[in-house]
Amino acid sequence: MLRTDINELLAQAGPGTPMGDLFRRYWQPVLLAEELPENDCPPVRVKVLSERLIAFRDSEGRYGLMDEFCAHRGVSLWFGRNEEGGLRCPYHGWKYDVTGQAVEVPSEPAASNFCANVKLKSYPMVKRGDVLFAYLGDPAAQPPLPEWEAYTVPDGQVFTSKRLQECNWLQALEGGIDSSHVTFLHGGNLESDPLFKGSKGNEYNKGDLKPFFEVVDSEGGLLIGARRNAEEGKYYWRVTPWVLPNFTMVPPRGDHPVHGHFWVPIDDDNCWAYSFDYHPTRQLTDAEVAAMRAGKGVHSANDASYRPLANKDNDYLMDRESQKRGENYSGIEGIALQDSSLQESMGPLVDRTKERLVATDAGIIKARQKLYKAVKALQDGVEPTGNRAKDQKVRSVAIVLPADQSFVEGIGEAMVAEPAKPHTSV
Amino acid sequence: MSNHDHDHAGGPRSVPAGPSSCAEAATAKEAAYRIDYPLSAARNTRVVALDDEAERIIRSAALLDWGQARFFSITDPGEVLAEVGGSDLPLDEVMTDTNTVVMVATSGENATAVAAIGDLARERGIMTAGLVVTPGALTSDALFHLRPHARILLVPAEENDLIELLRATRA
Ligand code: FES
Ligand SMILES: [Fe+2]
Repeated sequence: MLRTDINELLAQAGPGTPMGDLFRRYWQPVLLAEELPENDCPPVRVKVLSERLIAFRDSEGRYGLMDEFCAHRGVSLWFGRNEEGGLRCPYHGWKYDVTGQAVEVPSEPAASNFCANVKLKSYPMVKRGDVLFAYLGDPAAQPPLPEWEAYTVPDGQVFTSKRLQECNWLQALEGGIDSSHVTFLHGGNLESDPLFKGSKGNEYNKGDLKPFFEVVDSEGGLLIGARRNAEEGKYYWRVTPWVLPNFTMVPPRGDHPVHGHFWVPIDDDNCWAYSFDYHPTRQLTDAEVAAMRAGKGVHSANDASYRPLANKDNDYLMDRESQKRGENYSGIEGIALQDSSLQESMGPLVDRTKERLVATDAGIIKARQKLYKAVKALQDGVEPTGNRAKDQKVRSVAIVLPADQSFVEGIGEAMVAEPAKPHTSV
Repeated sequence: MSNHDHDHAGGPRSVPAGPSSCAEAATAKEAAYRIDYPLSAARNTRVVALDDEAERIIRSAALLDWGQARFFSITDPGEVLAEVGGSDLPLDEVMTDTNTVVMVATSGENATAVAAIGDLARERGIMTAGLVVTPGALTSDALFHLRPHARILLVPAEENDLIELLRATRA
């Protein structure tokens, strides 16, 4: 269980909230690059950390992210005209550049300096790989650009999707940390999903359905090791990194691409799951990308606004027959919706005073604790971890190690991302 | 009433009972109808210190207010445990009417006692967790002795993790 006040403190990331202040120390994914595909393309509404913003790409390809509403009379700039180096409000023609600076106020005399004093609040936004990251915090505390390996590999080696999840971000994050649900909820997918099947690791998974867990504290967050019996005297480890505040990575299987997630708060009741798949040393194949686009692996099939086609309005297309046959443990198709259907069913913000946590939830307990401590430390002026390259250059790992070894030491450098270094996978 | 003319996959639906008959009921408003009643705290967690430093840690935790958690220390060969603020009890008795044992180790002493707890826990279906309180060290005898016998380990654990784990699991 978790006290209501701490639950709300961790879950709510709006402006001026303690967790909101923590989130505003990190670059966060706010759009897929495909949403602003070309210069002067239509602007896109962005709601993130409970702030309503407008994103656009100007005639020179510069990205802008700023207050959604025109400084004049509060019209949404989504209706704006993106033309000649700025976004123009269609109401009275005020025009803004990518920094939010008003550059034209047509109703004022031509020689007026009025517009120099009109500036919408704006935030830096950069393209890394196929994602646009933004920083919504104090410019003086801006961390270096994101260095996640998925977004530093060459073009063609990463694919990112996003999907709306209609619950608080913390529920979604906890699903990414909670390794003990995988055997149950996703048990049916190992064999059938094109992005998982056929690895040696799957054999170990099936051979030992009751993994042991080791939760290791790391500077940037946690490493959650799930341990299964392998050959005599050896363990098969699957290691999931969590990096503060909202990044988790799934351990790899064979030579399949590696996947992970950012769980980004939209507001107190909704979040985006940004789900990526990348390969550190090779291009993704056409077949892999086709499967990802079709919603296989950790991805989902979505409508044009990135809401999954299977959603709570249609009971996630629950298939009781498939549930009965055991193809899908929950009857819901696909890993992503298996997770989000259950996490949404908990309600927008689950009442954690009613939980019955058990010892195997220790990873979740520890993660909450670390988040809480980071929030409190920041209030005391201590900067958090997780926003530095050394925290972000982390890999998930699947490995067989001798039984008498710490998994962290056994893995060693294999957990550190480096360009073109093959990943460690079974 | 919500609009229920959409298709529900998976065959015929049971009685349409209003908004709660569909996943759409996952709203804050509907969540408020989650029923309220006291949850029983039937864990009967046993916390066991495996060395002197661990005993110091569990003693300070034992001062707090707990439901049914009880605190012990043990030494090899592990037949008898000393209850914090109480008397000595045989392992067999301590491991009766419990479903969770949390072991705390800092040094790796008393490996035979760890195995005695682990074996009995396996036999009786008792959940085991271990806190390896070895600040800064990933490898330790404490880890290796606990590893076969604890379903979940915190490595390295902080002292405070014991209290957090017990609180979160309503011990
Ligand atoms: S079994 Fe875990 S939430 Fe129900
Ligand atoms: Fe999952």
